[in-house]
Amino acid sequence: MSASPAIRSQFEGRSPADVKAPVRIAVKNLNFYYGSFHGLKDINLDFRDRQVTALIGPSGCGKSTLLRTFNRIYSLYPEQRAEGEILLDGQNVLDSKIDLNELRSRVGMVFQKPTPFPMSIYDNVAFGLRLYEKLPKSELDGRVEESLRKAALWDEVKDKLKQSGTGLSGGQQQRLCIARTVAQRPEVILFDEPTSALDPISTGRIEELIEQLRAEFTIVIVTHNMQQAARISQFTAFMYLGELIEFDATTKIFMNPAKRQTQDYITGRFG
Amino acid sequence: MDASNPIATAGRAPTASRVRSGRRIADRVLILASTIATLLGIIVLGSILLMLIVEGVKGFTPALFTAPTPGPGSEGGGIANAILGSLIMTLLGILIATPVGLMAGTFLAEYGRTSKLADIIRFLNDVLLSAPSILIGLFVYTLMVRPMGTYSGWAGAVALAIIATPVIVRTTEDMLRLVPGPMREAGAALGAPRSLVIRAVTWRAASAGIVTGIILALARIAGETAPLLFTALNNNSWFNANLLGGVPNLPVMIYQFALSPYPNWQSLAWSGALLITVTILALSVVARFVIKDQRAR
Repeated sequence: MSASPAIRSQFEGRSPADVKAPVRIAVKNLNFYYGSFHGLKDINLDFRDRQVTALIGPSGCGKSTLLRTFNRIYSLYPEQRAEGEILLDGQNVLDSKIDLNELRSRVGMVFQKPTPFPMSIYDNVAFGLRLYEKLPKSELDGRVEESLRKAALWDEVKDKLKQSGTGLSGGQQQRLCIARTVAQRPEVILFDEPTSALDPISTGRIEELIEQLRAEFTIVIVTHNMQQAARISQFTAFMYLGELIEFDATTKIFMNPAKRQTQDYITGRFG
Repeated sequence: MDASNPIATAGRAPTASRVRSGRRIADRVLILASTIATLLGIIVLGSILLMLIVEGVKGFTPALFTAPTPGPGSEGGGIANAILGSLIMTLLGILIATPVGLMAGTFLAEYGRTSKLADIIRFLNDVLLSAPSILIGLFVYTLMVRPMGTYSGWAGAVALAIIATPVIVRTTEDMLRLVPGPMREAGAALGAPRSLVIRAVTWRAASAGIVTGIILALARIAGETAPLLFTALNNNSWFNANLLGGVPNLPVMIYQFALSPYPNWQSLAWSGALLITVTILALSVVARFVIKDQRAR
């Protein structure tokens, strides 16, 4: 099982997986249930600091479910529950005593469809900042600008910060959501298929952005698009039917996977 | 049909064309029937409006809006006291109904999606939504008018509020349910407590729909007669802003004056009816614009 030159060329000049980077999130024996449905089965997986880890697999394999455990967003729905351990800097986020809002300010999330709030561009970005920090106006302005710059949106919106965030194009809205997340200075950013609702050009911009954000944040991205996973991630986890089939450096997964199922999926034989 | 394939068409053509002409006839009949039904509806509505305008406009003089209702047998007069009474009770009713309706609708849409209690409340609200308004009038009569020993504008406002509340509950819940789930998740994912997500995000996202619901509730209670008959009743003397005691209002005024033998009373009833109709029409138009504005955004 070795890769074609076409696949091999994809990885030229790419930043290699840093296997020595410290572990930011450690998932241990994680099981997840939707009511009586067993959605994730004994997942064990480490996410390394300032690396992009892609979660891939066919629909319903549990990749989004796994992503949604890291900030416990699933707990909005009473019938969903997780068992096991997810250690974020050594602290178990599944612990019932943990402050969920504090956790979520440390673990940001960007969704599949852009979710700008019905308020101005400025207020969208400042929304998360105002929650836990009392900043003077000048400093708030600075943080908003800094966040919009990091999300590569500043130049497009600097003259219309007071306009509604919902009036932007889809790609701009998604970058606005990224700016809103970045503004809180989280440690981890979770992306749940962030480009599946966007056109190719917007997708390209978001991918470049994720590559830049990696300098500061640990990133986990769920994607249906295998080329995307290959392009932007250092590590890839392949999941199938709620189980983690294979996890390794992205180059290894795409060029020389250890498991037959992984090989079949990345070559498009099923999925 | 594929003309280049004679085998496929041979023998089938007559049946197919018969089927098609049959369908064409059915199509025409349905179009005709629905056109007639639409016209019937429009004619009824149009003739009511026409009659109202023809008869009502005659009485549209400055005195209509400045003079109080005249005593039996006296000349002239206006309906100023009834307009003011209606205005005060309707606004007071909406003022009571809006917070209750908004909060209950929010509970149903945001907190009680899966709870048994919410199902029960939702069902009862639907019952209240279709309850005959005269029953609500009688209910408030027993609740307020009898213990207080007098008809009052307060009782009228409460009766109107009880009619408006279920409308607001329903539209608030429906509009909040239209707000996409990921919007709430995005709020929660930033570490915002649920109450803040509701106030700062979902209410805002649904604001046009909620406001529309309130306006439609306003339009609904503006023309209600039965609940006021048992609560506010009427008061032909000049309205003195005292809500204790009978308070004049347009619907009951119309009811009484239209049945009276005096021509000037009948004319005032027509004008009052036109005024209410135009107001309700205007409110509905405003509600449509609010919705359109929201869609444009």
